[in-house]
Amino acid sequence: MILSRKAKEAIKTALAMTIAYGIALSMDWDRPYWAGFAVAFVSQATVGLSVNRAALRMLGTVLAAIVALSLIAGFAQDRWLFILFMLPFVCFCCYMMGGPKYQYFWQVSGFVVIIVCFDSGPDPVNAFDTAVLRVQETGLGILVYSLVALFIWPVHSRSQFETVARDLAATQHQLFAAYRSLMSGEEGKAKEALQIRAQQAQQQARFGQLLNAAISDSYEVRELQQPWRQYQGSVQKLATVMERWHDSFAEIRTMDLTRLLPGLPAYLDEIDNRLEQIGLMLAGEAPQRRPGPVELTIDNKVAGILSHFDRAAIAVLYRRMQALEEITRVAFGALSGIRGYGQAPPIAESARPRPRFLPDPDRLACVARFLIIVLAAYLAFIYVEGWPGGPGFVGMAGALGMALVNAPQLPISKIYAPVTVSALSAGVLYIFVMPQLATFLGLGALIFAVTFVICYSFAEPQQMLGRAFGLALFVVIASISNDQTYNFLSLATTVMMFAVMIPMLALTVYFPISWRPERVFLRQLGRFFRSCDFLISIVDRPGGGSISRRDRWRKAFHLQEVATLPNKLGTWAPRIDPAALAGATPEDVRNLVAGLGELSLRMQAMVEASEPVKSEALVQALEGDMRSWSASVQGAFQHLSDNPAAATAITFRSRLTEIMDGLEQRIEDVLDRSSENQMGPVGAETFYSLLGAYRGVSEALVSYAGLTERINWDAWREERF
Amino acid sequence: MIGPVPHEYAIGGVYLPPMLVAAVLGLIAVLVTVRLLNRFRWSRYFAYPPLVFVSLIVIYTLVAGTFIIGT
Repeated sequence: MILSRKAKEAIKTALAMTIAYGIALSMDWDRPYWAGFAVAFVSQATVGLSVNRAALRMLGTVLAAIVALSLIAGFAQDRWLFILFMLPFVCFCCYMMGGPKYQYFWQVSGFVVIIVCFDSGPDPVNAFDTAVLRVQETGLGILVYSLVALFIWPVHSRSQFETVARDLAATQHQLFAAYRSLMSGEEGKAKEALQIRAQQAQQQARFGQLLNAAISDSYEVRELQQPWRQYQGSVQKLATVMERWHDSFAEIRTMDLTRLLPGLPAYLDEIDNRLEQIGLMLAGEAPQRRPGPVELTIDNKVAGILSHFDRAAIAVLYRRMQALEEITRVAFGALSGIRGYGQAPPIAESARPRPRFLPDPDRLACVARFLIIVLAAYLAFIYVEGWPGGPGFVGMAGALGMALVNAPQLPISKIYAPVTVSALSAGVLYIFVMPQLATFLGLGALIFAVTFVICYSFAEPQQMLGRAFGLALFVVIASISNDQTYNFLSLATTVMMFAVMIPMLALTVYFPISWRPERVFLRQLGRFFRSCDFLISIVDRPGGGSISRRDRWRKAFHLQEVATLPNKLGTWAPRIDPAALAGATPEDVRNLVAGLGELSLRMQAMVEASEPVKSEALVQALEGDMRSWSASVQGAFQHLSDNPAAATAITFRSRLTEIMDGLEQRIEDVLDRSSENQMGPVGAETFYSLLGAYRGVSEALVSYAGLTERINWDAWREERF
Repeated sequence: MIGPVPHEYAIGGVYLPPMLVAAVLGLIAVLVTVRLLNRFRWSRYFAYPPLVFVSLIVIYTLVAGTFIIGT
């Protein structure tokens, strides 16, 4: 009989859970379910993923134990001082949990501090034992699961990693082909490109996870860790560069590119070939040819008859195509070094910008929500006598609250069914089956069977919530220990605890701010336009004078907002209640988010392009005109941040076209007086890049306005609970 | 004269404080109310619904505590 992958993974988790319980019970450790928890939550699809998660859980538990013991040592006598010093640490963990690195470490550190504090707080004499017990049982669960995963049907990450790397390369090749068609005017490819882009984003995230996992469980990958990281960096950059390249297409639609860029077909073939060779190398074959030289130049004679804006668009396109050439060469070199087909290019030591703290308002909002959950649980525990669960209620609220704010898009209603079904099933086992068991043979078989059924039934990634709740409630309700007692009251208390806790968690969806997806979407949209408004005002500073330190920080903050908000909006958009869309389709909302993504890229390009050219004579001569453009765009952003319905494509188009036409005329006049050659080749290129960026923002704004017209914003903005 | 005395509720042998039962009843009543208010688009008449939500919890809890738990 051949077992499916799903069955094998369920057997491994069930076996590890049974062994962990067996060891903890034979050592006569109190609360053996902590070992069970560790097994339940570190089990992942491959050994490497599990080991990484296990390491983060272990380190998080150790840090949490140290912090919890320090808090108990310092403030066990005063509950207000205790909570006052505990909350900043927990909130810090909650904030860090939303960051790009070590999310699980911070999540575990945060909720384990609460659990240890509230388990030991009422009994400070045994606090040290409790903290140590938590650490050793977590270590036991992790060790047992790691050994089981290593020895029974081990699944190393390398093969999955290689598959994802191949898929990602194929997707990027497809995306390049789609963009190539779009550049040549085949508009029908736009929808396909959008889908490929979404696929690319998912594969990039998976590639990063599996690279970390493969480094942990595969010597071959660990040995080549640095080149793989370099390849990962170049793949990420390739995605960005392709986006920027695609972003320039709107302005060049009417131009004859084969005349303007005579080497264009050869250039595109060369890039296509490089991407194909990358795919071949990832499939384990030798490359058939190496990257060749690329001759891509702008024909100045043909470009000379274009308007200045069109010349700017060509300059921007040319620059982006150069970047694409460079990054595909780097990616090819990195991979050929890994596969042994050549020398990997030296890793460029780029000057890293000084890291500065840029707060993320969404993560801060999640912290506030978590703070309300923990404080409400704490106050209820203190002030309401006989509160179900007692101090355990606060620990459980902390752990659940952290999971909830980690995925704020997930509707709370999604947990009702798993909790109810898990509590009922665990209750039946606890009342009717467990009292019949006298030895570990029977108990072990029960633990194995229940864990297997839960893991097998909820094996898909989208069923993780059901699996987590199923295992957690079984472990909590069964309360397996050496001095096993059976009491209906403890079951009823646990059920009551969840019955009270879940409405409390639901309350935070409504108060103090609404977390309904459409409200969050509107708030983020407002922030996006406010940030655009600020960035325009910074670019528009007279004479390009130096900006203060505070403004530099604000600029970095708003740039971060503009760069990250379209992705965040993309995660909220599918969750919006169709009733709130009031006539618009989910497709309209997706297009709106894509339009914002375009505007975001163009805003970033504009800020980037504006930096080196402020001293150029031509820019100074046109300062007044550019300021008039900025004022107009800034006004538009201000209106949009107050009311997204303020955008109408016709108004924007007529206003911006008028200004751009004026600017075009002024450029002609100024150039007639000074001669373009006075700028020098570098000056001309940077000037046209800036001009192209200005035009790009105008076009993206008009295009966004066109997209918003399909949405009934009044209905969307209507106040709702 | 002695007013109504709040009494404990026992569910499956678990004794629950009167305030807890009142609060849970209040919360359930509010969840039903806001669903209806959203359904009939009456929530648009409130300036800040989250605050109304909490105010309704307080009102319903007091009503439940006075007329249901306290009798």
